[in-house]
Amino acid sequence: MAPVIVTEGVTRVYSDDGVPVHALRGIDLTIERGEFAALVGPSGSGKTTFLNVISGLDTPTDGKVWLNGKLLSRMSGNALSDFRRDNIGFVFQAYNLIPVLTVEENIEYIMLLQKIPKAERHERVLAILDEVGLGGMASRKPTQLSGGQQQRVAIARAMVSQPATIMADEPTANLDSKIGAELLDMMYRLNTQTGMTFIFSTHDPMVMARARRMITLKDGEIERDEVRSP
Amino acid sequence: MLKIAFRNIFRQKRRTVLTALAMIVGFTLSSVFIGWSDGAYSDIISMFTRNRIGHIQVHRAGYLDKPSLYDVIDGYESIGEKIAGVEGVEAWAPRIYSAGLGSVGDKTMGVQIIGVDVGREVKATRFDRKITSGAIFSDIAAGESILGVGLASILKADVGGKIVLVTQGTDGAIANDLYRIIGIAESGDKATDRMACYLHINDAQDLLVLNGRVHEIVVIARALDRVPKITAAIEAQINDTALEVSPWQVVAKSFYRAMQADRQGDLIGRMIIMLIVAIGVLNTVLMSVLERTREYGVLKAMGTKPGQIFGVVVAEVTFIALGSIFIGALFGAGLNYLLSIYGISLPQEFSYGGIVFQTMYAAVTVRSLAIPAVTVLVSAILVSLFPALRAARIAPASAMRTH
Repeated sequence: MAPVIVTEGVTRVYSDDGVPVHALRGIDLTIERGEFAALVGPSGSGKTTFLNVISGLDTPTDGKVWLNGKLLSRMSGNALSDFRRDNIGFVFQAYNLIPVLTVEENIEYIMLLQKIPKAERHERVLAILDEVGLGGMASRKPTQLSGGQQQRVAIARAMVSQPATIMADEPTANLDSKIGAELLDMMYRLNTQTGMTFIFSTHDPMVMARARRMITLKDGEIERDEVRSP
Repeated sequence: MLKIAFRNIFRQKRRTVLTALAMIVGFTLSSVFIGWSDGAYSDIISMFTRNRIGHIQVHRAGYLDKPSLYDVIDGYESIGEKIAGVEGVEAWAPRIYSAGLGSVGDKTMGVQIIGVDVGREVKATRFDRKITSGAIFSDIAAGESILGVGLASILKADVGGKIVLVTQGTDGAIANDLYRIIGIAESGDKATDRMACYLHINDAQDLLVLNGRVHEIVVIARALDRVPKITAAIEAQINDTALEVSPWQVVAKSFYRAMQADRQGDLIGRMIIMLIVAIGVLNTVLMSVLERTREYGVLKAMGTKPGQIFGVVVAEVTFIALGSIFIGALFGAGLNYLLSIYGISLPQEFSYGGIVFQTMYAAVTVRSLAIPAVTVLVSAILVSLFPALRAARIAPASAMRTH
């Protein structure tokens, strides 16, 4: 399989009131296309920082990141925006839907940026809403949905433009275990059906249980990298 | 993007209302300021020109800079006919000017002799309305004079009395004659009224040995804003390089400059209003950007370009500004309209350019709506640039850590 993400000596140092904090210490990692991988570790181990760096949301202090064969550090701000838009879908812990937009408008937002025609956008939104079990809710506002429904919308938004990789930062942290399990099953199904790569940053044992690869971080370094059979 | 910007307006309704209120109040104040100023200046200009100097004047070249008894216009009747044929000209009147001494009894005073064609002067400058006591000249010259109210007071002269005028004729000889005082005139300009001694045009020509010639032709235009065009048309019609055609702005240079300087003062007043509005708007826009930091971070994470985020913030402020301009225009035009009808009576009369005013009226002009509209829009957009830049430069990773 072709690698989706390759990192080489990725280091991230923050300054906390002038005191340097080493969030990542020279991480080398390769993630192949179609993986369902979990970044795990205690709080402060660097999971979210690493997820941000490999998705181009944050810049490493040192080291290199290739995403779909492109070296992220070589890209300008606008090029990186376009690259994220076309290659990565994000699912956040706090759902982060745009409150002034309806469910349909939230989901079609990325397609609007991609200048996909209206008819196609509408068709794809309805299809993905059915896929995530929210058929008939296209015109609702995020505030009219439960937490689980909002996270389904967020997953639909991340997937609708068919990116190569979905980055999910603690996607089940705000959900009860039943809904969290349903969503994870849904993402697992989508992963196996579409071949999209899923990378989670998580504490959740349910995510860890489903992950086919578990990368454990500790103090900004990979402590263990375990590939498991499904 | 525009949809997000538009809907963002309704998210924090109270804040939007406050921001819009600041803009509406700023617009309305600015509009009334301009409408008031336009109305007042229009009245002042109208009184100044209509009552005294006319809208356009024709002289022998150089007369305006250095008036001389000898700089006369020949054949003024035919020139006047040509002027009357120019479109937009309402009336014209010839005048004669000279300095002299006026004596009534044992009182003597320097006077300005003004020869007027009474029929034409009434049409042009409503000379009949200036007569406060006595009568106006008859059509035929009869050795009559009308004194300015100030001059009559200084000379202790009254209707029925006589005045001796001593001056110099164009033949170089001393000219003098006795005139019966038939009226007292008040032009509204105290300086003029202290000096003016009006004579029938034929009497003045005889006294000054002008042989049917005059010093000035005053022209009244139908509309003040057409004066430049009419001036050019008269110039073309007369087609005589020995004559000079001047609009009122040139004739009353110092009055015009003083008025322009006053208007600069108005501009500063308007700028202060808009600065206060801008600071208020900046505060609320900055607050809203701060509150939406996380949201902008999410939009950027999904691939929204910094320029598009910048556009969302600027568009939101622009929408509010456009709405405020619409409402402000209704208020501004409404207030100016009411003030143009009812005016405001001043507790104390004031004088400008020698003309006394008691009630001031506003005017509904395009300027009174266009200038505040442009000012509000431009200042709102300018003020939104800094918060928009801040939003555009948000780092998504750190933005999404904020709550």
